[in-house]
Amino acid sequence: MVSPAIALAFLPLVVTLIIRYRYYFVLFYRAFLVRVWQDCATGLSREERAFQYVLTNATPGDPDSILEAFDQWCSKVEFISNIGPKKGKILDRLLMEQSPMTVLELGAHCGYSAVRMARCLPLGARLYSVEMDQRNATIAEKVIRLAGFDDDTVELIVSPSDEVIPRLRSDYGLETVDFVFMDHWKKCYLPDLQLLEGSGLLGKGSMILADNVLFPGAPNFLRYVRKSGLYEWRIHQATLEYIRGIRDGMAELVYQGIK
Amino acid sequence: MTKCGVSVLTTGDEDEVSSCYEEHEWGKNRVKGREKEREKKKRGNARKKGASRAGRGDEELEERAERGEKGRRRRKRDNHDGKGRERDEEEQAEEKSGRAAKNKKNLKNERTRKMEQEERDTEEGDAKRKKKNESAKREEKKEDGGKRAVKEKANAVKTKKHKKKVETSEEEDVEEEEEEEKEKELRPESLSPEELEKLKEAVDEKKKLIQTLRGKPWPMKKKLSTLRESQEFLEKYEGALGKGKGRRLYAYKVMMTKKWMKFQRDFENFKTACIPWEMKIKEIESHFGSSVASYFIFLRWMYGINMILFGLTFGLVMVPEALMGRPYGSMPRKTVPRADEASAMDFAVLWDFGGYAQYSVLFYGYYNNQRAIGWLKFRMPLSYFLVGVGTVAYSYMVVIRTMARNANESGGGDDNSFNFSWKMFTSWDYLIGNPETADNKFASITTSFKEAILEEQESRKDDNIHLTRFLRVLANFLVMCCLAGSGYLIYFVVRRSQKFALDGLDNHSWWERNEVNMVMSLLGMFCPMLFDVISTLENYHPRIALQWQLGRIFALFLGNLYTFIIALMDEINLKRKEEEIVKFNMTVWEASLYNGTVPENSTAPPVTIHPADVPRGPCWETMVGQEFVRLIISDTMTTYITLLIGDFLRAVLVRFLNYCWCWDLEAGFPSYSEFDVSGNVLGLIFNQGMIWMGAFYAPCLPALNVLRLHVSMYLQCWAVMCCNVPQERVFKASGSNNFYMAMLLVILFLSTLPAIYTIVTIPPSFDCGPFSGKSRMFDVIQETLESDFPAWFSKVFSYASNPGLVLPFLLLMVLAIYYLQSTSKSFKEANVELKKKLQMQNEENKKKSKRAALKAAMDLEEARKAMTQNGRNATPLLTDQEGQLPATRAPVPRTYHHGNHGAPGYLPGIPRQTEARVHRAPSLQRH
Repeated sequence: MVSPAIALAFLPLVVTLIIRYRYYFVLFYRAFLVRVWQDCATGLSREERAFQYVLTNATPGDPDSILEAFDQWCSKVEFISNIGPKKGKILDRLLMEQSPMTVLELGAHCGYSAVRMARCLPLGARLYSVEMDQRNATIAEKVIRLAGFDDDTVELIVSPSDEVIPRLRSDYGLETVDFVFMDHWKKCYLPDLQLLEGSGLLGKGSMILADNVLFPGAPNFLRYVRKSGLYEWRIHQATLEYIRGIRDGMAELVYQGIK
Repeated sequence: MTKCGVSVLTTGDEDEVSSCYEEHEWGKNRVKGREKEREKKKRGNARKKGASRAGRGDEELEERAERGEKGRRRRKRDNHDGKGRERDEEEQAEEKSGRAAKNKKNLKNERTRKMEQEERDTEEGDAKRKKKNESAKREEKKEDGGKRAVKEKANAVKTKKHKKKVETSEEEDVEEEEEEEKEKELRPESLSPEELEKLKEAVDEKKKLIQTLRGKPWPMKKKLSTLRESQEFLEKYEGALGKGKGRRLYAYKVMMTKKWMKFQRDFENFKTACIPWEMKIKEIESHFGSSVASYFIFLRWMYGINMILFGLTFGLVMVPEALMGRPYGSMPRKTVPRADEASAMDFAVLWDFGGYAQYSVLFYGYYNNQRAIGWLKFRMPLSYFLVGVGTVAYSYMVVIRTMARNANESGGGDDNSFNFSWKMFTSWDYLIGNPETADNKFASITTSFKEAILEEQESRKDDNIHLTRFLRVLANFLVMCCLAGSGYLIYFVVRRSQKFALDGLDNHSWWERNEVNMVMSLLGMFCPMLFDVISTLENYHPRIALQWQLGRIFALFLGNLYTFIIALMDEINLKRKEEEIVKFNMTVWEASLYNGTVPENSTAPPVTIHPADVPRGPCWETMVGQEFVRLIISDTMTTYITLLIGDFLRAVLVRFLNYCWCWDLEAGFPSYSEFDVSGNVLGLIFNQGMIWMGAFYAPCLPALNVLRLHVSMYLQCWAVMCCNVPQERVFKASGSNNFYMAMLLVILFLSTLPAIYTIVTIPPSFDCGPFSGKSRMFDVIQETLESDFPAWFSKVFSYASNPGLVLPFLLLMVLAIYYLQSTSKSFKEANVELKKKLQMQNEENKKKSKRAALKAAMDLEEARKAMTQNGRNATPLLTDQEGQLPATRAPVPRTYHHGNHGAPGYLPGIPRQTEARVHRAPSLQRH
């Protein structure tokens, strides 16, 4: 029988763990517990609830107000892992600097990042947004249209990314992709990157931006990028969207081609 | 030139022999020589030209010599490399005789220019290298001409020397034979005294160069090549410098000094190899930075001290008692009592240091109070006492000496002023050899810059000062609560354990029996983590945060330790009460024994009772010793188990679960553990404190500690390399060593305090230990003085220990300390003054140089103006000059004196194009 004193001696450890990992507990609460509860209570999916909120709170045709409504909902009401305002600023800056004509987005989710990118694109540029899930895709479509981007600017492709990428050249007539934004399944980062390399869509100077490479993290992806030598790469340190205290980063790769 | 021609015919064979001699003497060098030479050939002459300040002429000497060798081998090996240069050389050979007269003239110019060139050599190096590679420029050719002359001379010198060497060499080398004909380019002749003098100068200069090479602002490659060349040159020519008969002796001497130096170097290497764990620590240092390495160095230092403590106790106490003292079972104190005999050999009992372990040399109680033991008449009690005092005294001495030495080394700059300059120039840790650590260090430097800038900004704003203060107070309050809580928990546990002890330990489970140690270890492990978390509230600079952290852990450990000691004191008092009762019972028992067994006649032999049956006192000293040993053991176990679970198991899990987990375990949440320097250092220090406290009552403690340190050295080295990652905040530990030492000193003081208190105030047990029967332990000194020393000595001693003498002595010491301190203070002030002065001077110099630079710029301006005016006249003159005086012109004019001659394009102010235009304009007009 373990004496109570010994058990009491573990108290500092427990307190330490709770304090140190409090953000993760908060994240767990907001991203999982609240979601399950709301799903049961409303019968709608999380994305649909977000869309309802945006619909009621944002000005149609104004991308900024839509983004703001999303941020509001995600930080105050529930949690959706959009790219968020802080990392979004980095994304905006890179897009402004790069001014790419062809942009590929892997993982549209509910259209937040698509709207965010579309409003920074130069005139005549085209954004191909790939989303695997049908329900999310319909919401993303609605959000994008609500923001006032038509089919010429943003094209939504509803299909898994590993099927879409080989078909991009043949079905969509793409020659090169200037900018790729990855925010889908973290496990798919590496295979999709290799697919992009294999399909020859990446030209010299093409930029690839991968979100969430530190948390939840894509270690294999980073390891590959480090080793391959095809890229100039850096990691933008940031925190996880809508939650302070969890470190995250975006990897920025610039394709250099085979030298 | 003609001289050379003759000498070829006459001394061809000698030359070959001499080269054999070289081969023989500098054999080692020549083994690699082939490869090196080939390399050199590839690189061409250019490298040599740019080599050094050592004087153009000397360089040529050497170069020529090397060329000779190359030439020799040229035909033998048909190499692709350096073809162009070879052709050039052949050309030179042909031209030589023809140009001799002209060259001689040039030689003079060359010499006069030498001095100038020396200054410019450094910059010229690169330019020349490029030039060499380009196809022949005019200037270069001219220069070559000049050089060739010198080369010729050098050649002469060299061959001359060869000739002399012939006399000394006896062996011949077959390999060199076939190169006989190729030697023709070298023309040996007799070495005149002035040439010898020149050679000597060259050698001296080379020597000087080697010495000053480190401070030169050259790229490393160049330094290395220069060094290698100079050394080769020295090796070649140093031996030849002696005159006449003295030469051989000189050569021998040089050789011997070289051998001696080599031996010394090897010996140094050997000494380094002899330092235990040096390579391990260096490896860790390269991976984790110097802060982690400083822990291991500290550990090694601790190991050394414990070795000596162990030697003292083992050699002077344990071994004599084991060898010469009464054997086991001869006395009650050396025998396991009858009640415990059955379980005395059980592992559980032995693990608790009861049973046979308790009744052995490992503990105080086993020792006999016999004054002298064995045929050596070894004074056991005295030795025991003196060793106890000596270990503590030795520890004090070592710690203080080390502190003093460290204090001399450190104490340079102040951290407050020039914050950014310090960061800029001194933040890199040059011992790092691991890319990952270097990345971390890089990141930490950048963040520290960011933080420093933020701090600087905040120090100007400081609007949130109240919040920060509040948070700091709050953090300290929380830490205090934590400390109080842990103190109370330990107190509670100790009280409980006393209750258990009264009940009898056998009625309780293992958990309850080891509760005190467990709780202490666990608290010592977990509370620092909590402190670490709390300290993030305070928002201190990392270094200050570390000090706070160390201070808090120190307080925690100290509190735990003193709670433990207070509990022990209580127990000692209990035991002493018990002892009183036993003493009383003893007399009753003895009386009853004698009354019962010897009824009628008293002449009968006294009854022999087996020593195991004799009743005995509780012997509080052994109890104290046992407690300390148990504490050390449990502490060690906790450390190792934490290491295995917290570090190793975690690393294994993180590593292998990472393949099938939904987030990145390595970069994200559990990650690998960092090496906790502060915790480990404090653990080590407190462990040592316990050793110092308990060593008097348990002579086995130093031995145990040596074992522990030895194992933990290997274990921790392995653990660090295998399952820790470099700290995110790699900081330098240059100043922290003395901090550890200061803590060690405090602990030493605090741990000797209770030990001395018990020794002085509590009378020893009546039936165990070396001091049994005395009223106080230190009576052994008096006893020795009285019986073993002559009467006058004890008299002197008693006089000396008279307060009337001791007090003035103490006063004198205090005065001396005061005096020394005040002088050191004044020195410090003087230092600060000097520093200020130096700074002022620096500023003054800066101003001066600024003024000079301004003036130079103005001069330049004027020169430029003058030149643009004279441009038309100057340019044709320039071309003329270049045509006529090829050798006098330095290949790359650098200083602006040349600007007056109209050197185009090298004035910083004037772009080349304008010059070209100026040049072209008249020519156009002309046509």
